[in-house]
Amino acid sequence: MSRRLLGLALIFPALAVIVFLFILPLIMSAVGAFQVESAFGWGNFVKTFDLYTKDIVFSVVIISLSTVLIGIASIAIGGYLTLGEHPVAVAILRWLYRWPMFIPFIVVGQILRTFLAKNGMMNNTFINLGLLTPIDAQSFLDWRGIVIAFVWKQTPFVTLLVAGAMASLNRETIDAARNLGASKLRVLIEIVVPQVAMTLTVGLILSFVTMMSVLSVPLMINAQSPTMLTADIAFRVNSYGDYGVANALGLVSLVLASSVAWIYLRASLKERA
Amino acid sequence: MERNGFLSLSGVASRYGSTQVLTDIDLSIAKGEFVALLGSSGCGKTTLLRLLAGFISPSAGEVVVRQRDVTRLPPDKRGMALVFQSYALWPHMTVAQNIGYGLKLKGIAKAEIASRVSAMQQMLGLQGLEARKPANLSGGQRQRVALGRALAVDPEILLLDEPLSNLDARIRLSVRHELRALQKRLGITAIHVTHDREEAMVMADRIVILDAGRIAQQGSPEEVYNQPASAFVAAFMGAENVLSMNGQPDGDAFMLQAGPANKATAVPFAGRKLSAGAVEARFRPEAAQLFATEEFLPRRPGVAFGGEVLAVTYPGGHWRHVVRLGDREIMADAPQAFSPGMQVVVHVPAESLFLFNSPAS
Repeated sequence: MSRRLLGLALIFPALAVIVFLFILPLIMSAVGAFQVESAFGWGNFVKTFDLYTKDIVFSVVIISLSTVLIGIASIAIGGYLTLGEHPVAVAILRWLYRWPMFIPFIVVGQILRTFLAKNGMMNNTFINLGLLTPIDAQSFLDWRGIVIAFVWKQTPFVTLLVAGAMASLNRETIDAARNLGASKLRVLIEIVVPQVAMTLTVGLILSFVTMMSVLSVPLMINAQSPTMLTADIAFRVNSYGDYGVANALGLVSLVLASSVAWIYLRASLKERA
Repeated sequence: MERNGFLSLSGVASRYGSTQVLTDIDLSIAKGEFVALLGSSGCGKTTLLRLLAGFISPSAGEVVVRQRDVTRLPPDKRGMALVFQSYALWPHMTVAQNIGYGLKLKGIAKAEIASRVSAMQQMLGLQGLEARKPANLSGGQRQRVALGRALAVDPEILLLDEPLSNLDARIRLSVRHELRALQKRLGITAIHVTHDREEAMVMADRIVILDAGRIAQQGSPEEVYNQPASAFVAAFMGAENVLSMNGQPDGDAFMLQAGPANKATAVPFAGRKLSAGAVEARFRPEAAQLFATEEFLPRRPGVAFGGEVLAVTYPGGHWRHVVRLGDREIMADAPQAFSPGMQVVVHVPAESLFLFNSPAS
């Protein structure tokens, strides 16, 4: 009896943290989304879709595009680490690719602001090289900047997972395909990637959810309309004190994030069956 | 058989970092021959197979198939297909996709692939399994799929990397014969890596024994079994009983001096190359005959050792005895049991006693 109490006592702090700092605020925020001046109703959602449908679509498109690009980049890097035959190049890549993981999003935003602006480092370099005239220089500080920031920051994380899974594959399955005449690219696409598909999916979903919640990048790079949902939530709360619409926007993000998690759960159940 | 024309390796060497894995491998294999590369782990046999397959380049020497130098060719340009020890089936593909992948890579039409895959399934007894994934197959079925995948591309040379070592002992015995029969029927040249002596004996036309990256001996199963060229080969081929003796040539026989367990005995040379000095005598437990000391009458030429039975066990078919001969313990089989403590004579017929000069002499 006393042992059972002790056990409960031991997990109580963790449980309390989850209940009071996570579940309760989540429920309150969900309830708050349906509260309009102390009555329940759809008002916040009507307002959300009136004002922010464009931003919802913008967020989904940007994050989906980034996810696809992150997937391609991580397969390419992981594939080279697994199949590359130049040991020095492989070692350099292995050392290099992880760095962006240790840089906070806000710093990524700052770096890319100075890099992608109309008179930023990228355009200056092109102009100095004679590849671009100053008149043709354009700013990338719009949706493209957000995509570049996300891909740059999230690719190493997904690559880390994917390259780990590729490294633990049975090498003989790769040799068997080469033995039958498969090119490196075919080995990568037809043999390696299908075997790490589950890990790749998990990495991309975690990445998708992370990008859904990033505020600093859209604020730093693209503080105009349309923008990401996170920027809208911050704006609703900070400028208007309008927690109702902010909660509704939050709930929309939650539904978007859960829908990809649901895809993952379904795939993993199917694999186990 | 075009013994020198089909597949030959000359002066092949391979190193891994600073370790010399293979040294001076000269080997010529005829078309349709079944060659077993036999050796213990780390002897370089798998390295040799991977080198043949084209996954590793030799640091010296060349590999020639039909007078064509293939030493630097990529794996798929050599007309060889490899069956891996782990089978290396692709878990995300069905049986039919696994078998047909090599054909798909060759750009063969879908209908043609389907008919060839189904013919291959027919031949290997895999009918009805085409839609299964490898995870849902038994060990024996996986092994056959791996074989089918290699054979589907119609290779001239089949390379087998311990393909039976992951099978249950019972299945393994029948698969040996199936594989050998299939190889004969297709007339394909096969190179089979194994550490299992009996497997090599049963399956191969020729056995190549590797020791520390060199060929220790090659020959037919009977040759390597009955005329081992070195103490290593004798031990590897089951002559685990070892005694240290001394002797010198005496006419066309070799005179073994009396030792703690034996009288001086002459053994005919019969092809042995021996010089005076210390020799290592090796024989198999089943080659020895046991007699109670008082009943022993030498009928065949050979060496008689006197000793005491220490233990007796019954592994099946015969009794196996541990016998002390002087300061050594050896094993000897007999159709009837001799109880521990009995004084016995271990008689080893001359042709079953392998003698080698000890390296020190």
